[in-house]
Amino acid sequence: MKQESEWEPKLLGFLCRWCSYAGADLAGTSRKKYPANIRIIKVPCSGRVDPLFILKALRLGFDGVLVSGCYPGDCHYQTGNYRARRRMAITKKFLEYVGVDPQRIQASWVSASEGGKFTEVVTEVTKGLKEIGPNKLFADER
Amino acid sequence: MANKKINKKNIAKLLGDWSKEFELFIPSKDEGIAKFAKWDGKDTSFLDWHRNTIVPPKAIFFPPVEEMFSFQKDKQSYHIELPSSDGQKQLIFGIRPYDANALTILDKTFKDTYEDPYYLPKRKNTVLVGLGCTKPYDSCFCTSLGGSPTDSANVDLMLTDIGDEFLVEGVTDKGRELMSMSSELEEATEADETRAKETKEATYQKVTRQLDTKDIEEKLLSSFEIQDLWEEIAAKCISCGICTLLCPTCYCFDINDELIKDRGTRFRSWDSCSFPVYTKMPMENPRIEKWRRVRNKVCHKYEFYPMNFDVIACTGCGRCVRQCPVNWDITQTLEKMQAKVQSG
Amino acid sequence: MKDRETEQRLRREAKALLEQGKVDYIIGFETGSLKFTTTPLITKDKDSVDRLIINPFIVNNLSEYLTELKGRVGIVAKGCDNRSIVSLIQDNQVKREDVVILGVPCPGIIDLSKVEGLVGKDRDELDDVTRDGDKVVVTVDGEKKEFPASEVLFDNCLGCEFPTPQEYNILLDESSSLVADKTASRKGIETLEGMPQEQRWDFWEKEFSRCIRCYACRSICPACFCERCFVEESEPQWIAPVPRWQDNLIFQVIRNIHVAGRCTDCGECERACPVNIPLRSLTKEMYDLVDDLYHFKAGMDKEAAPLMTHYETTDPEDFIK
Repeated sequence: MKQESEWEPKLLGFLCRWCSYAGADLAGTSRKKYPANIRIIKVPCSGRVDPLFILKALRLGFDGVLVSGCYPGDCHYQTGNYRARRRMAITKKFLEYVGVDPQRIQASWVSASEGGKFTEVVTEVTKGLKEIGPNKLFADER
Repeated sequence: MANKKINKKNIAKLLGDWSKEFELFIPSKDEGIAKFAKWDGKDTSFLDWHRNTIVPPKAIFFPPVEEMFSFQKDKQSYHIELPSSDGQKQLIFGIRPYDANALTILDKTFKDTYEDPYYLPKRKNTVLVGLGCTKPYDSCFCTSLGGSPTDSANVDLMLTDIGDEFLVEGVTDKGRELMSMSSELEEATEADETRAKETKEATYQKVTRQLDTKDIEEKLLSSFEIQDLWEEIAAKCISCGICTLLCPTCYCFDINDELIKDRGTRFRSWDSCSFPVYTKMPMENPRIEKWRRVRNKVCHKYEFYPMNFDVIACTGCGRCVRQCPVNWDITQTLEKMQAKVQSG
Repeated sequence: MKDRETEQRLRREAKALLEQGKVDYIIGFETGSLKFTTTPLITKDKDSVDRLIINPFIVNNLSEYLTELKGRVGIVAKGCDNRSIVSLIQDNQVKREDVVILGVPCPGIIDLSKVEGLVGKDRDELDDVTRDGDKVVVTVDGEKKEFPASEVLFDNCLGCEFPTPQEYNILLDESSSLVADKTASRKGIETLEGMPQEQRWDFWEKEFSRCIRCYACRSICPACFCERCFVEESEPQWIAPVPRWQDNLIFQVIRNIHVAGRCTDCGECERACPVNIPLRSLTKEMYDLVDDLYHFKAGMDKEAAPLMTHYETTDPEDFIK
């Protein structure tokens, strides 16, 4: 059993392959440091992210989920990120109402040239998750 | 042993005496709806509100979800662990005659060709204290299925409302043993017996919904191919699982494994033949059209079950009629079917 | 009696539609088998239409049946049902020319559970329940008791914005006035909003612990028209088809996201739930949420694109980093 002080949040990132994933790549090749707390899943578009993925991640014990895509207007498929924006908005707000800390559900726009921004976003989100502590939402025994 | 009686005011004391030996279940609304729940040591409010529970007492023996076993992958094979059973003796207080009858019907399935190791031990460890009904719902039709609202046939001990008191009848040895476990019971007088008899007769008359079950198996058999009839009957059904899941004699279950890394659990949980995805796991549901599913539900209760076990798998509790969100009514269905068969 | 006249007109219109071959089916309400209860009548038979009724208990949202019936259908629709029909048209589930909408202006439906609570008797023990303008008269043991309608109408009716159908072929009566009480309509939600976040989650944990997965909420919902639901997907298995609170809660959260912009707050999910889970405290919140964020109300315009397939470049994104 790990001590509470050793606990590190697990963050699941869904990154669009055209912008944010390339941004994460750039952060790496530029030797920028960002928290190792994020596990990345490459998706074709932020519009591919079903709210169900977010719930499933929380159910499996991830402490937070980050969905990141291209800036509005930059979507490789024209409109995928606009659709993602609506989905993320209602998912985040609705889950907040149900009782999930909104810090656990995050979204960002990161372009392929923004290695720095990617680093900042992951750092900030991880910091927020550390503050709110482990996800015990679905634990069978709380 | 002669019949006894107990003052309603002393019910908590009686339950208290029994709870030393048994885990006690009573009709409770603590969890948001009327169902049988563990007694908290004082609540007897059901004496005022209890007509019937929404969730039938079958849930105590055959819960909505139940762990069958857990398993862990060792190097070569799987290590299987059965859920621990404490063999705790249970007592259900306040079960209605038609729900007790339903358990007798369910027993046949669970000990037919295979003795169910989950249901039967719990059933064996449980005594049933029946509480005769005095206020049947307008959805009740137990008298059409050979029962009565105050029938003691399927319980161990039977209580009948005689005003400020209940008449207490020992039906089985287990029940008579219960009577000797409490000093709260008094000897019943002849006047008490008379009042109990009157209550029983009066309540019987209060069940107004009637269903003619004569030759119903044969009639269903001849209606089987009349597609128009079944389509009409099924038209308003929405294929939810309320009538089957809350039926005290329905027993279909689904089995699922849940794996997390190398550890897993096998569960069984209530299933319903109303669902379009029922029995999808082997290949396909043979009853894709709604009318076939509705026909199966009716025939299973009134035709197939009697063929196998010589008893109709319905006790007239009326839950399916009362809880249905579209007021699909099995008694109307059977009437319509009989009228159609008779008119040729 | 106003309902009697509406009823007579409905029967005439329905009969004419069937006789003239303008529709294959009529969907309406007839008297149910339990006291005060009404039940859907789905018929091809022109004589059966004499069984059609209009009264303060016609609670079902009949648009639920539109997606399964083949052919043209004449359908009785109250305000909320009417919006569900329009929503189905928006989603290409129903063609406008295949439905003849018999609109019924709705003054709100009586919630018998509320009546039971007020008089302390079950519905089958009541002699009579009648609506008289903004009052409801309940007769128990020969004695008449009067209640303001706002105390006995369904919560969703108290929050109704469009009691009179907007999209119809025949409107059976003049628009009706509504007894509205927006605060009462949102009571459940406000109680929840007043709780700390963890307490809200605990609330739902407790409520969903008694779900039995009968799926009546899904089956009765006209907006839940998928032929295959994610709940039953097994590859991958998103949630276990087992009634545990965690899986029940995820099911309901996702169901609400799926019906966002389609839910007309008809309240059928909550009414159908046999174990009294306050589902409308979820659906109404989503209903208000999409209105706040996107000024979108379900089923108002049959030409409009469904909410979640559409976007505006100006949609709010203050939550995005």
